[in-house]
Amino acid sequence: MASLRSPSPGGSVEDAALRTVHLTKRFGQKIAVDDVSLTVPAGAVFGLVGPNGAGKTTTFSILAGYLHPSGGRAEVLGFAPTAVDELRARLGVLPQDALLPAQDTVGEFLVHMAELQDLPHPKALAAARESLDDVAGRDWWNQRCGSLSHGMAKRVALAQAFLGEPEVVLLDEPTAGLDPRVAFEVRQLVKAKKGHRTIVISSHNLTELEETCDYAAILDRGKIVASGSMAELTAANQEVRIQLAAGTRRGTTPGEVPVSRVRDIPHVTTVDLQEEQPELVVGFDRSQTDAEAIIGKVLTVLLQNEVRISGVTKGRGLEQRLIDLVG
Amino acid sequence: MRAMSPLVEIRLVTVRELRRSFRSFKGVLLGIIAIAGGAGVSMLLAWIDRAKRESLPPGIDIEAAQEPFFTASYGEETGKAIAACPYALWTILVATLWLGPLLISLLDYDTVSGEVQHRSVRFWTVRTRRSSYILGKALGAWFSVLAVTLGMNVIVWGVTIGVGKVPPAQVLAWGARFFAVTMPISAAWCGVAVLVGSLFRTPMLSLLAISAAFSGLWILRVVAGLSDWPWLAYAYPNFYDSLLLSPRPSTVALGLLGTGAIAALTTGAGASLFRMRDV
Repeated sequence: MASLRSPSPGGSVEDAALRTVHLTKRFGQKIAVDDVSLTVPAGAVFGLVGPNGAGKTTTFSILAGYLHPSGGRAEVLGFAPTAVDELRARLGVLPQDALLPAQDTVGEFLVHMAELQDLPHPKALAAARESLDDVAGRDWWNQRCGSLSHGMAKRVALAQAFLGEPEVVLLDEPTAGLDPRVAFEVRQLVKAKKGHRTIVISSHNLTELEETCDYAAILDRGKIVASGSMAELTAANQEVRIQLAAGTRRGTTPGEVPVSRVRDIPHVTTVDLQEEQPELVVGFDRSQTDAEAIIGKVLTVLLQNEVRISGVTKGRGLEQRLIDLVG
Repeated sequence: MRAMSPLVEIRLVTVRELRRSFRSFKGVLLGIIAIAGGAGVSMLLAWIDRAKRESLPPGIDIEAAQEPFFTASYGEETGKAIAACPYALWTILVATLWLGPLLISLLDYDTVSGEVQHRSVRFWTVRTRRSSYILGKALGAWFSVLAVTLGMNVIVWGVTIGVGKVPPAQVLAWGARFFAVTMPISAAWCGVAVLVGSLFRTPMLSLLAISAAFSGLWILRVVAGLSDWPWLAYAYPNFYDSLLLSPRPSTVALGLLGTGAIAALTTGAGASLFRMRDV
């Protein structure tokens, strides 16, 4: 897992965009973040995952420079997150529950933010308009921030996070409280921005993270319990899961799962039929083959035996992985 | 990469703070109350001033008539120097000095705490040095207060000129001088307000704390007058009005130094504390 491009606990990565080393944050007696070390490679989309109280928002807030760590350190592009001069215009942040200034119009707010990124007024104006266009909010320019709906405000806040094309963008719950259509649009926006910059997303929406992120760290009670590429975390490159019609059993007669024939497929390492689900979990040697090849071969065997299939997934899914790890 | 000048940051935050102040319901309401109140009071004062000047016995000018009062209030040197001022303008100076802290506390109590409470401040801390944010807020607060008090003063000047007993040039000269006295004093009050207000996350607590701090400073002034510790009075911004009204430049400089020190120390302390805290 601790390869050069992977997030690794305490690993030293030359092209890391963000890094925490033994990061700790205490609020009185309570330890919210406990010795967290992780590295986010430049250009990656990285998810911070965990149940409520896991410490992901606290970790996020330290990376954004809102909170000072009690111990250890955090770095963004090689600088302390509070080094505003070095990070100005290079770091964009979407805070989770920060209210936009109610008296400012959307245009004034975005231009002001762009000017604070050291853009001269004409460029700030252009950057603000472009950023607002990106979130489909062109018509809101003269509207007071205080009069925006929750979804509109979230998109304006998102526009300020991406203002001036920063190298690193931190997004805390970017789709929380949004209706499905707006949430979809926000996801599309994040995907469109992907690849050009490092993005860190803290979210409860695991499907969204699985869909968007390259890497993730799962936190529980302030500690990292797993981290790595999304494929590693979900075992997407180690196993395939075939969901079967209700009542499907092990056996060789038509409609039953011929487990031994599946096991005989080259490079398959484990076969587990969970009859109560029912689901067939097939592990494979990822150094010899990949998930797509295995899916094709397993489905061929199953279909030849007239097994009724209701779905196929690569790996366990982030949600299942989280439940496995934190209960 | 070239570092952005803190002065530019401070200017941007200050301008935005001014805009915020005069757009908010509270800012507009306080502005209207201060200016309308000033207009009403100035009518009354100008009428009193006019009656006073008209009732002077022959051979006694207004300067001679007012001198004992001002000498008793400010000492001989300063009393003589301001004895010729229009009474209405002096009264407005005193009113500004006494009501200034109230206006400042009401106008500025949520300057920082309001944005900390709703975490709006997080949009700024990524892009602005925290010290620049606090300095910009303090300057914005000060300019807002100056704008309101200047509006009030200008009305008084207009009414005093309109009554016609004092030449306009004299009204403007005295008016500008008295307004200039209020400027450093209100800067000191604003510094205290920003320091105390920035320590709280809840605007209402901030208002209470600022009011308590202002009252505490006034108590220090009273204690200074009654005890063997007269130097305590230097902590009270309004103490400096007599220094700033002096005809002696060195005394005025001392007044400026004192109020400037209060403003700088409180704002600096506010900025340092804000830099260390979590937002």
